[in-house]
Amino acid sequence: MRSDAHVGLLIHGRAGVGKTRLADECRNWAAASGHPTERVVGSRTAAMLPLGAVAALLAEGLGYVDSDGHVNTVTLFEQTRLALRERHHGRRLVTVVDDAPLLDAASLALLGYLAAQNAIFLILTARTGEPVPDLLSGLWRDGRLERVDLLDLNRAHLDTLLHLALGGPIEAGAGREFWEASRGNPLYLRELVHGALESATLVERSGVWHLEDHLPATVRLQDLVEQRIGHISSDARSVVELLALCQPMELAYLETVFSADVLEALEHAGLVTVAVSRGEVTLAHPMHAQAVRAAMPKLRARAILLAEATRLEAQTPGAGSAELRIAVWRLDAGQRPDPSVLLRGAHLARYAHDFRLVRRLLEAVPAGQLDAVGALLLGEALYELGRFEAADRVLALGQELTSSEQVALRLAVTRAKNANWGLCQPQTALAINARARNVITSAPLAEELVADESAVWMFSGHPERALAELERITGNGLRARVIRALVGAVALAAAGRTGDAINAAQAGFADHMALGDELAIAHPATHIVNQVFALTEAGRLTEAEQLARAGIDSVAAHRVPIAQIWFAANLGRVATLQGRLATARRYYAEAAGLAEAHRFGGPLRLALAGLTLAHATLGDSQIARQTLERLDGVPEFGFLAPEHKLADAWTETASQRPKDAVEVLLAAADHAASTGHRTTESWLLHDVMRTAGVDTSARLEELARECDSPLVAARARHAAAARAHDGLELAGAATDFEAMGAMLLAAEAESAAAEAFSRAGDLRAATAAQRRSSALASLCEGATTPGLLLAAVPVPLSARERDVVMLAINGIASKEIAERLYLSVRTVNNHLQHAYTKLGVSSRTDLAQALGGSQ
Amino acid sequence: MTPEQIVLVQSSFERMRPALPSLANVFYQELFERDPALRPMFPDDMTAQKVRFSDKLTEIVGAIPRLPDLLAHTRALGARHAGYGVRADDYKTVGAALIEAIAAALGDDFDEPTREAWTIAYNLVAETMLEGAASVRLIGS
Repeated sequence: MRSDAHVGLLIHGRAGVGKTRLADECRNWAAASGHPTERVVGSRTAAMLPLGAVAALLAEGLGYVDSDGHVNTVTLFEQTRLALRERHHGRRLVTVVDDAPLLDAASLALLGYLAAQNAIFLILTARTGEPVPDLLSGLWRDGRLERVDLLDLNRAHLDTLLHLALGGPIEAGAGREFWEASRGNPLYLRELVHGALESATLVERSGVWHLEDHLPATVRLQDLVEQRIGHISSDARSVVELLALCQPMELAYLETVFSADVLEALEHAGLVTVAVSRGEVTLAHPMHAQAVRAAMPKLRARAILLAEATRLEAQTPGAGSAELRIAVWRLDAGQRPDPSVLLRGAHLARYAHDFRLVRRLLEAVPAGQLDAVGALLLGEALYELGRFEAADRVLALGQELTSSEQVALRLAVTRAKNANWGLCQPQTALAINARARNVITSAPLAEELVADESAVWMFSGHPERALAELERITGNGLRARVIRALVGAVALAAAGRTGDAINAAQAGFADHMALGDELAIAHPATHIVNQVFALTEAGRLTEAEQLARAGIDSVAAHRVPIAQIWFAANLGRVATLQGRLATARRYYAEAAGLAEAHRFGGPLRLALAGLTLAHATLGDSQIARQTLERLDGVPEFGFLAPEHKLADAWTETASQRPKDAVEVLLAAADHAASTGHRTTESWLLHDVMRTAGVDTSARLEELARECDSPLVAARARHAAAARAHDGLELAGAATDFEAMGAMLLAAEAESAAAEAFSRAGDLRAATAAQRRSSALASLCEGATTPGLLLAAVPVPLSARERDVVMLAINGIASKEIAERLYLSVRTVNNHLQHAYTKLGVSSRTDLAQALGGSQ
Repeated sequence: MTPEQIVLVQSSFERMRPALPSLANVFYQELFERDPALRPMFPDDMTAQKVRFSDKLTEIVGAIPRLPDLLAHTRALGARHAGYGVRADDYKTVGAALIEAIAAALGDDFDEPTREAWTIAYNLVAETMLEGAASVRLIGS
């Protein structure tokens, strides 16, 4: 606009892409820069009156009507130009012309003349599909009109826009849903987001946005779609309505009912998409289907649905996928299809993992007509959808119906799973399992009940008992192997047999793929989750992280929330062990958000405990305590229960109460020992040493002998070396940890090595160890642990001095320090005095300053 | 961005942190190769500029999880860059050069999800810098 070479800007693009908005922004900008501006709108009605649209530009009282009453356009155009020049002191009038192709020819001619004479600067919008008037395309070809083609957003643009508009990250599944519904159309996206926010379908939890349900069709969205398709012929509308209800439709069928012109016109207008290879027609935009359905009179929709159902039934009696479509159409039409059709439809929906549809189909079966298989399918769907109490009722009902032994087994197994995972009642789950055993006695099926009991023991916190139960299974069929691996891999890893665990998980996955997707069995991705857990317990942290990252992508695409939760929680756990605490915090927050959204109480407890641990290790004692308090409202959950206590212990540590932390850790370690959580016990006992320097090496060494895990062995080495103040061994433990990627533990062991070297008078080795420790600590994303605190301080303190100093720099009085550490006030003051001397300071304030840099 | 993408950007950044100086080298090399006209906007001796680039990248990556913090960085940065004569089109060139430099720094670790995550992260930064730039132009013109 700053040069005279251009007479305007043509903004071209599809409906809803933001042409008008961009034009208006340009106009606002021009106005803010001091240019006069005007706005003209093209429309079908205004076009009927010549010059009607541009009336605002015309000066009144001009003599362009000659004595015969004819309009003299030359005079009119020239007088308008002169009037504009006078009015705006020679500055070009910036004129927005929205929907320029809809202007009448006279208006276009006037605008073209004024622009060519540099009286106005045009900002025109034109919709894709509308022919651009010759006058405008001529100016564009001459290079006097700058053309901007606005495209729909691509996936990356949409994600960026959502992030900025919502002010934070969005869960992967929700992002995909917005993408699929809007296909990058900014106008639809805007309405979808507003609609979802207003209906509280889109909600923020733990800093991440989640979708609670499918996106709603708002009235405003219906209006927008209506504007887009409003002016098509009545035949074309019939096609659109038919597709909105029943798509995809066979092209061959549509061609017999509608003329080729109608279909062609719809395709040209970009309203339908024809997949020639599949011979299928669909609406081009998913939003259109939803909005047209929502706006259609119910009786009309019903008539179309029933006609199509009847037609398809006559055409393909009893055919597989057609049957599901027919059942859904009849339901949509308010009819109750035959229960056998609904059941067959539910089977098909189950294999597509569409649990919402399974529920919808089977809840339409009249009470008393649902058979045992139907109850099994509905119960499973309700469990997957987080409706645990309803699931228990339906499954109990199914158990009362006569059925084959196999169906009875699967009802029992699913109900027990629902009781253990959903209702968090392991005792109920065991009772369900025991009752089923009285009924089901034939060999392979009875063994499934054994595996099921084992699963309840495992996930209620008894790995040892779970392994003992599994020993009783002798069958070696494919299904038996898969079910055994699902429990066995986790139990073996928890018991410290990590090599066996990794093998079991790998074999289990391969067997599961061969078995196919069966009922009453966990998703195949569960084996991958198990493998991640086993790799973690084996200290193979990098492999665990990579596997889990690949896993979380695959299950997010298939929408298996429980697997997504487990992958996120395991990623949090791996990151914690790696010492990447900020990363751990984000993964645990993600797991907690998903668990909350899908109502899985057990995994929520585990994720919140992990989140607390991450906050506490980062030194955020207050946020840690708040997160810990959220656990009060969450049911108890046995899986890795002793490990959850790390949350309590580290919150105490972060609040400078090491004695309380040690009490919690020792009690949890006892619990772990009595239930056979060997790797967890090793973690807890190692942390006793890390938080307060208390020696636990004897038991840690026992555990290292009982387990095959290098991580457990490194913890034992660390503790034994610390007890012996053996600098070389401590440095060795640090190397072990570093090789596994456990950087925080490595940094702490190096720090302890520095202290031991210094004690032994080897200052050179001490300095080197100190430097290594600082480098390792810098990889830990801001972790603040007692073992790290003094890492960067040149003169190491003794363990006791360190404890006292830590409390002192947090402003705690000597008297209270004495109480917390079971020392006399005099001893505390002696320790402080020694620390002052070593650090070359003379007061508490200086002490904090001397240590401040390392925090 | 999804939480996973934020984690991916930050964790891959942690991995290349030791290689930041060479990342800065590759970035400017790529940038000037793609658009030699940008070279005169920078000083002859690029040593200090490369350090500034590394520092700013570290700050911005750290601020990504909290949008308000990120905006505080990027809006001002965008406004400053508008003052240097940076045009909206240049952001595309910079983005391409940055992704290329990150790809070089990460080697085999630079997989498709990592590329997507960094692309969206860059878009976020560029978009908000452009907002900052626009506010300056409006006032200044």
